[in-house]
Amino acid sequence: MRRDVVDASLAIQAEGLTKRYGSALAVDGLNLEIPAGQFFGLLGPNGSGKTSTIHMLSTLIRPSHGTARVAGHDVNRASLQVRAGIGVVFQESALDRTLSVAENLRFAGLLHSLSVAQIKERSSELLDLFGLGEKRNRPVAALSGGQRRALDIARGVIHRPQILFLDEPTIGLDVPNRRNIWRFIERLRAEFNVTVFLTTHYLEEAADCDKVAFIKQGRVVKIGPPHDLIDGLGAYIIEIESENQEELVRNLTPRLGPGFLDGDKACFRFASKDIASLVTLQAELADKVISMRWRRPNLNDVFLWVNETELWQAKKTRRIP
Amino acid sequence: MILRPVYAVIEREVLKLFRQRSRLLAAMVRPMIWLLVIGAGFDAMLGRSGNLSYQYFLVPGVLGMSMLFGAMLAALSTVYDKESGVMRMLVIAPFEHYWIVIAKTLSAALAAAIQALLVLALLFLLGYLNNGVVLPLLVAGIVSTSLVCASLGMLIAAWTRTLDNFAVMMNLVIFPVFFLSGSLYPVQHLPSVLRFVATINPYTYGVDLLKHAVLGMQQSQFHPDFGVPLDLAVLFVFVLLATVIACMRFSRDTAYEPLIHILARKRED
Repeated sequence: MRRDVVDASLAIQAEGLTKRYGSALAVDGLNLEIPAGQFFGLLGPNGSGKTSTIHMLSTLIRPSHGTARVAGHDVNRASLQVRAGIGVVFQESALDRTLSVAENLRFAGLLHSLSVAQIKERSSELLDLFGLGEKRNRPVAALSGGQRRALDIARGVIHRPQILFLDEPTIGLDVPNRRNIWRFIERLRAEFNVTVFLTTHYLEEAADCDKVAFIKQGRVVKIGPPHDLIDGLGAYIIEIESENQEELVRNLTPRLGPGFLDGDKACFRFASKDIASLVTLQAELADKVISMRWRRPNLNDVFLWVNETELWQAKKTRRIP
Repeated sequence: MILRPVYAVIEREVLKLFRQRSRLLAAMVRPMIWLLVIGAGFDAMLGRSGNLSYQYFLVPGVLGMSMLFGAMLAALSTVYDKESGVMRMLVIAPFEHYWIVIAKTLSAALAAAIQALLVLALLFLLGYLNNGVVLPLLVAGIVSTSLVCASLGMLIAAWTRTLDNFAVMMNLVIFPVFFLSGSLYPVQHLPSVLRFVATINPYTYGVDLLKHAVLGMQQSQFHPDFGVPLDLAVLFVFVLLATVIACMRFSRDTAYEPLIHILARKRED
């Protein structure tokens, strides 16, 4: 059954969204439903189609097939209305380095037809929110990388968009600055209830999302709330080093399910929360392995399991017919 | 409401013009070098012709020059904007993308007109404008010449993906447009090939209009080449055509998507 019904509570609704460059498929039939106010993360390695997806949803490029409603309007038919309702922070800065902090916000505000009074009010509000109040008359060139990114986000939300697209917002920043950026995004969500659509390949940063989708070669391979995905993986991840990895994997796969080799470690999921059975396994393997480690799974593991087990299975079937 | 976005682009251009002091200084000095150095040199060689010296004949040419350089440099900065941040702000804003071309054309023309007014003030102080100036024609000449130069610049900018070398643009576009325009010599006296090129060069008509404004129809070999109505008609049609073509080019997906890819390109880690 096709859902042609427009659901007003959805900020973003994509159906069969596809982008083709020549013979290469950048995005392959993406379906998404993102409710208003959600913090959504689109995750995947470089070149998996994240940026193309953001560009289609923000009307900057035209989908080859499929459609999407963003902020209540169709991206193909009403691109101006879509752009009026969204803010976009690109991977690369959208600031004019020769202008001051306040001048950049003024320029962005005027482009969205805000009045000078509105721009003044919102600029000071946003600059205070992002800890840039003291810098308002400084040229952008004099700001640090983290401050520039914060200003770029302020620039992206000065018109109070319903939806904020963030394309790799923390790329190229050091850890303290990354934390700051996340704090600002959190404040924005709390203050304005803005829907946030995030792409990142730093998976640990997506743990606070309400929902994440993993994409690979333009297709969604896994979608759900981060905790469900992590819990679905198992209670623990076991990493084992041994002299004969092939044999170890062959022996343990029937008991633990598919694992994969990550460098010199074999990784397995351990479904049961029961520590006793973990200890039993440890005792069993004690003589046969070099080391054995167990830990809680995280989003990285979710992604690795989608990717690596497929690869490992493919390799195994080729090697051992 | 498109007024505020267009105003934003214009405000930025003017702000940058007055902030880049060297650009402003060059805009004043360049025409003066032509007028005072080249003009005086030719005068010494040619002697006076009728009641008008060659230096006086150069006045409309150097006034036009200030607009040609001013508008072209401002319009071609769009290509830099394509690779820097500002174009990202422009493409994501809620208006049709051809407004970027229109706003940029207007701002480049305004930057050119400001530079022309500064040069005009200098010319006045140096006593080059006391042959009688026709004010309405001067205003029309400055407005239309600024717009012609700005729309020519935008036409080039719409087709240029990267501007690695400004000197290339200077030598391939700005200088030929200037030399083949009747700025330095009356079009009628040129050899036929050059005369033909000067006649199809829209900038020629801007300079011609300025000649009407500052030289008047004095009895001399240095009189304007065309009539005022023809000048105005050619200038108007060119600005209209160039702007429409640049707008169409900028709105087409084939030209536009590569731009988006430039804007989105990955950081060199």
